[in-house]
Amino acid sequence: MANQAIGIDLGTSNSCVSLMRDSAAVEVLSNAFGENTTASVVAFHEDGSITVGNAAKANIIHDPAHTVSSAKRLIGRYHFSEEVRKAQAICAYEIMEGSNHGVRIKVRDEEFSLPEISAMVLREMKQIAEARINEKVTKAVITVPAYFNDNQRQATKDAGQIAGLEVLRILNEPTAAALAYGFGKGLEQKVAVYDLGGGTFDISILEIGKDIFEVLSTCGDTFLGGDDFDDRILDMLADGFVAKEGINPRNDPFAFEKLKVAAEAAKKGLSVDEEVEIRIPDVLVGEDGETRSLEHTITRSQFGELVQDLVQRTFKVCDEALQQANLTVRDLDGIILVGGPTRLPIIREAVSQYFQQEPKADVDPDEVVAMGAAIHAASLVNSDQDAFLLDVTPLDLRIGVAGGLAEPIIERNTPVPIEQSRNFSPFKDHQESVTLKVYQGDSRQAEHNELLGQFEFSGFTPGLRSKTSIEVRFEINADGIVNVIARDPVSGQQASTEITLSSGLSEAEMDDILTRDRTASVKTAANPDDDSQDDDLVIEPKDSTDTLELVADDDLDEDDAGPAIGRVALKTVAVGQPTPVMTAPGSDEDPNAAAETTDTDTGTETRDQLFDRSEDVDLSGDPEDTQQE
Amino acid sequence: MSDLSELEIDALAKIAGELSYYQLLQVEPDVSGGDLKKAYYSLSRSYHPDANRNLPEKAREGCHRISKVLTEAYCVLRDPRKRKAYDAQLEETGDLRIQLAEAAASHAKSESVRRTGSTPQSKQFLLKAEEDVRNGNLPSAVQNLQMALTFEPGNTGFNEMLEELRKRQQADK
Ligand SMILES: Nc1ncnc2c1ncn2[C@@H]1O[C@H](COP(=O)(O)OP(=O)(O)O)[C@@H](O)[C@H]1O
Ligand SMILES: [Mg+2]
Repeated sequence: MANQAIGIDLGTSNSCVSLMRDSAAVEVLSNAFGENTTASVVAFHEDGSITVGNAAKANIIHDPAHTVSSAKRLIGRYHFSEEVRKAQAICAYEIMEGSNHGVRIKVRDEEFSLPEISAMVLREMKQIAEARINEKVTKAVITVPAYFNDNQRQATKDAGQIAGLEVLRILNEPTAAALAYGFGKGLEQKVAVYDLGGGTFDISILEIGKDIFEVLSTCGDTFLGGDDFDDRILDMLADGFVAKEGINPRNDPFAFEKLKVAAEAAKKGLSVDEEVEIRIPDVLVGEDGETRSLEHTITRSQFGELVQDLVQRTFKVCDEALQQANLTVRDLDGIILVGGPTRLPIIREAVSQYFQQEPKADVDPDEVVAMGAAIHAASLVNSDQDAFLLDVTPLDLRIGVAGGLAEPIIERNTPVPIEQSRNFSPFKDHQESVTLKVYQGDSRQAEHNELLGQFEFSGFTPGLRSKTSIEVRFEINADGIVNVIARDPVSGQQASTEITLSSGLSEAEMDDILTRDRTASVKTAANPDDDSQDDDLVIEPKDSTDTLELVADDDLDEDDAGPAIGRVALKTVAVGQPTPVMTAPGSDEDPNAAAETTDTDTGTETRDQLFDRSEDVDLSGDPEDTQQE
Repeated sequence: MSDLSELEIDALAKIAGELSYYQLLQVEPDVSGGDLKKAYYSLSRSYHPDANRNLPEKAREGCHRISKVLTEAYCVLRDPRKRKAYDAQLEETGDLRIQLAEAAASHAKSESVRRTGSTPQSKQFLLKAEEDVRNGNLPSAVQNLQMALTFEPGNTGFNEMLEELRKRQQADK
């Protein structure tokens, strides 16, 4: 059957693809290694080939500068943003400034935009699906953290398009999880979805009314996740190493990556064991030429202390979400846990305590989001629709007004789709054009919010400011994507300007990316058996000499590393010559054929280079509520 | 899947903006929270953009338009404070739609007047000052607030507002 639409959970750390075939059960589609999740890591090899997935992740240790992980932290961000600065501090790959104050990643003398990097991961997921079902896939629902702003959503949508997918919907991850949990069960419940991923935390409160999934509130922290737990362990290891050896392993990029891998593996080990011993036989070679090793034991309770404040931070966000939903924990009928770190006993215990109930046990925290996306994708392509998602916008939508302020137009947690119009007058008499700046965020100070874009509007008849009125319409669609239209209500003429706000790629850049399609040079591990694949791509999971060992303490023996609990299995990919463009099995079509017709929502869109920080706002709003704050 | 005809969708899309929120959601003016939700869910099943993906473009656009007004109506009526502001507006001006931010603010404003003005004169000048702010006349707003303060010295609310206005004046320069 043609027209299969997949659901993709494009995670910061791991991605997962799922499909609901002909209203049958929802399946998670595993990759060529039989793994249900695939690391969202892209490795750029010396020979020009590109690989994605768990093998690419193993590459970090050997070649951190050419292995791009956690791209989702950067997608849709401005180069000057705090998030980018934080990432620059921890990432070994080169993060540069691109046009429109965007972010580019430079690897092996080539610059890639973030949507291109994410497209490589998406393409891998698409190909995993195609290999599994033996059919071409062109449509997908892609999930994003509920707390993603418009820029991040738009950039994710662009990534889908670059990957040759028609993006049916950008869906919030917690909403997808709730859908997977409640779909087809006829529930009448209020549930909380607690989603702690690698780099983000989201909480959504939903009311499920049979086939209706209404989001009552959503809150989040875009810089809080399991990776921060790793950092705490890493600091502990590094500080211990400095104390013992007098050398800071943080200054050696290879040693640093080894510590990072060891820290993550130790954390995962603590999901299973009370105590984990970390042994890295060859952290670094000192100036004396001696190889230094690192050994450290960490217990659950030590770990609990290390990350306690981070865990508590999630509950601050939960407080806020409950308050916004006008509920208390007692009103909730279920707690759904999503994300790798929720496997940790300390998280489960803390969550049970906070919500005063045990979380649902029958939900797989790594797969539930992709499954929800697949259910939604299926219902969007099949006519027998049986679930309706009523989602909300996570952030205040604001417009810049005189004095560097930003007036709220649509408050956060307002249901979408929604439209609001407002009349404004120019700042001065006889002003001929105004600059509209649109923001998302919770601050009255414009500069503290995320600028979605700005545009000039001159389609009105200049006159006395008290006599001149400009109508601005703000729309947030069901994807959470913002559109703004300005119009002169007096002349009522076609003096309207529609823009799709975007900090990201201009239309020309998108065209260029689609034409060059560098993402197509990804060597996929998705279907190594496939004939269309180049023969010299050899994938052999094997233990590397750099293997870090982690063993549960009670299993420890002098020579024997014990069972591979929390063992860091490093897969190595042997690669040959760069492969030509990868196409779907049995097809020699251009994999981007579908891309041209995407983006139906916006029709003719112009993505101007909108950004200019130095320019001042020249609009005065209707400032009647200014004195309140 | 909605079983509405394109004609029905088209008809509602045309008049959705000209109905009161109560009419649009087909509920009584004293509707309870639970019944309001039921009505919203039931209409969402018919008009949600996802419900009508197989209809022609025009009908889908119609659904989108209807959905947006339905959401707005639900947003206002489910929030007691916004609903109060809306009911007051229906009575005073008869306007059928209200800005969400305004509905939230008009409540906050009436609160703040109650909190800040305690003599007839100070109230009067506060109202004038607020009107000046609305009209963008900051110097006059400052004058009126100072007058309000002479009738009610030591009112912290007035003082805060005055300070805020001065800051804005500064910023505007
Ligand atoms: N068994 C486990 N125990 C504890 N943490 C885990 C486990 N498995 C994965 N993680 C952590 O979960 C995080 C990734 O979570 P995931 O839900 O895949 O994130 P994302 O949605 O951001 O991709 C990483 O920090 C990883 O170390
Ligand atoms: Mg996730």
